[in-house]
Amino acid sequence: MSLKYFTIEERLNANAWDVDVHRPHIKIVDPEQCRKCEKKPCTFMCPAKCYVQQGDYVVLSTEACVECGTCRVVCPHGNIDWNYPRSGMGIWYRFT
Amino acid sequence: MKFDVVIVGAGPAGLAAAYKLASAGFKVVVLERGREPGAKELYGGRIYAYWLDKYLPEFRKDAPVDRWVRRERVSFLTEDKALTIETAVVEKEKTSFVVPLVSFVSWMAKLAQNAGAKIVTETPVDILVKDEKGRITGVQSGPDVLQADYVVDAEGVNRLLLERAGIVKKLEPELVAVGVKEVLKFENKKTLEERLGLGEDEGLAWAIAGYPTEYLPGGGFIYTYKDALALGVVVYMRNWEKLKTPVYDLAEKLRLHPYMAPLVKGASLQEYGGHMTPVAGINMAPPRFYYDGLLIAGDAAGFLLHTGVLIRGVDFAVASGVLAAEAIKEARSPSAEDLAVYEKKLRSSFILPQLEKFRKADRLLSDESLFRDLALLSTEAAYSYFNIDENHRTLFEAVREASKKTSISLVKLMINMIKMVRNL
Amino acid sequence: MKIVALTKAAVPLSSAIRIDPKTGTLVREGVPLTSNAWDRDAVEFALKLKDKYGGEVIALSMAPPSGIPALESLIGMGVDRAILASDRVFAGADTWATAHVLAKTIEKYVPDYDLVVAGEETIDSTTAHIGAQTASWLGVPYVYYVYDAEIKGRTLIARRFLEDEGVDEVFEVEMPAVISVLKGSQVPREVRLSRKLNAREYIQIVSNKELGLEPDCVGLRGSPTVVAGMAPATYPPRKKVVIQGEPAEVVKKLVEILKQEGVL
Repeated sequence: MSLKYFTIEERLNANAWDVDVHRPHIKIVDPEQCRKCEKKPCTFMCPAKCYVQQGDYVVLSTEACVECGTCRVVCPHGNIDWNYPRSGMGIWYRFT
Repeated sequence: MKFDVVIVGAGPAGLAAAYKLASAGFKVVVLERGREPGAKELYGGRIYAYWLDKYLPEFRKDAPVDRWVRRERVSFLTEDKALTIETAVVEKEKTSFVVPLVSFVSWMAKLAQNAGAKIVTETPVDILVKDEKGRITGVQSGPDVLQADYVVDAEGVNRLLLERAGIVKKLEPELVAVGVKEVLKFENKKTLEERLGLGEDEGLAWAIAGYPTEYLPGGGFIYTYKDALALGVVVYMRNWEKLKTPVYDLAEKLRLHPYMAPLVKGASLQEYGGHMTPVAGINMAPPRFYYDGLLIAGDAAGFLLHTGVLIRGVDFAVASGVLAAEAIKEARSPSAEDLAVYEKKLRSSFILPQLEKFRKADRLLSDESLFRDLALLSTEAAYSYFNIDENHRTLFEAVREASKKTSISLVKLMINMIKMVRNL
Repeated sequence: MKIVALTKAAVPLSSAIRIDPKTGTLVREGVPLTSNAWDRDAVEFALKLKDKYGGEVIALSMAPPSGIPALESLIGMGVDRAILASDRVFAGADTWATAHVLAKTIEKYVPDYDLVVAGEETIDSTTAHIGAQTASWLGVPYVYYVYDAEIKGRTLIARRFLEDEGVDEVFEVEMPAVISVLKGSQVPREVRLSRKLNAREYIQIVSNKELGLEPDCVGLRGSPTVVAGMAPATYPPRKKVVIQGEPAEVVKKLVEILKQEGVL
């Protein structure tokens, strides 16, 4: 029995979002800190793969964020400025 | 504009408090950051009915229920083997049910609104507002302040407000787990029932240990909605460094396991999500549950019981919301002194006693060897026992052989088992 | 200054729109509705004009009562009040019949309007018809793709940008007029608690009993458009080259490749 593996991007595509393109609700405070961060747990623990390692740096894209807060908890340097999106923007669960 | 009570968060805890307070004639407003109640909420899939009967009996009348659980399955799963135990009741018991959380809270929201509570969506609360004496007097969202005699904080697991108010420290990985979940929809409910071996409208709750978390603390789960199932994995955050699969692929990895794949074949993905869950129970509790002008309920207070196989959040949340409402009704003033009655109520209810009883659960569940050893040894032993070759083993021989093969000490496992049966 | 902002309850900015392979129609189950993202640009545009010149912004929508939360959201942003034209006979309308209802509602309930603003298009039908058709029903000038404007007396000086031509144009039109606002050109303001709290009180619902429109001119009966079929779009084949390395090197390589391909 082999089923097709869906990438995280494909899975996230099943969801509904109202994205606040002008105001990302999460920010990396100091990108240099991420460069120095050895393990970069955010890139591994985020359920939506919002954090991706590029070179030594970490690139954050909040569009597909599910607002769980995991990154803030696992970041060993407190380097994530984390807030909820405003105005009802962000993930909109309908079936969970 | 001033309200008697401002409630932060339209989840099970906040809405239960809103419903009870509005019913008693209080002027209540619930502030919810999502577009509708439930839009930001995610759970495994099951609600226990026993305490709801006591705290919110209205649910029996018209709350949405997809399936009443009549089968409980527990599996130890490895790469290539599985051992599954199932308990089933033939009688139509109604002790726990599966339903999308968004459906359940939108039912609760209507209940609260019909009782006179106001629910304001799209409104994240940023700060608990204090007066010069440190009493909580309202909340702030963006530039706007809303005054109230009482604030009920039911903001959920992230509890940014409590942190900003200096009541709790920043969440540590030791206190929480991250869960990921796929909702897989079948062509119709009959297909789902046939695949999982269920009778008509029969519900299934399935906990899966071992493989889903790569033998780390946490577990996989499956719950049956009407024509869809929830499939997910919860993994304790403190062990993240040992995890080899990124969290965003954990649920998908379980779905594709050869033991699971035939069951979900053809089902289409309806939604994918992730959320944190408290796992430390009472160890995650804020120093107090009441302050001047403030009560704390639901996940924000750590009111969730996790014992490895069983997870209870919604019944704890609803009950704590109801108790917060009762405390406010009885309090003569919003002073901490008068609101101390909330803690008394939590103690004389099931909430604190049951959380206390399982105080050691999170420590024990964090013991990796337990998850690994039990899963590997039990599946291997079962395989040995049922596999007839030149040797037909006794059960003891099968266990001993499995122990040898997996290099897992039986004595150590026995000690762990004793700890487990005493504490979980 | 009275500004009417046209709006539709549409699907959120990013959501899985699925077409049922058997029936060829949109799957509506679990598709939530909110204010059309591009209408929020138009609302922001209107609120900025109000901030500058004073007056009132009135949101207008034609929808079943399920369209109320979208209007509440706009009131949360700062819109003064909203009108929802809602009647069973309006159901099944195409853009022509919808614009008819919108124009007639404006004429009856905001007869002294100065400006009507619309989003560039809706996110779930993307026709971009409503602004033009409403202007046509009202018999007033229409400027589209507007990203900035100022008002001098009765004259609206509207700036618009045409991406394909790379041209920035300035139009002067006599008000009343209709404009559509370039999507993404504004930063819609946040929903505020103080406005959202009693948002429902500022919404007026009008039915065809009040509007008195000819049933043959509204809803499905008044709609000349026929949807002949729908099919999921397929993606064109892509080369999908992933370039890895340090950002500076990656950019260099990317430029090289684009030059090779003749893009640059």
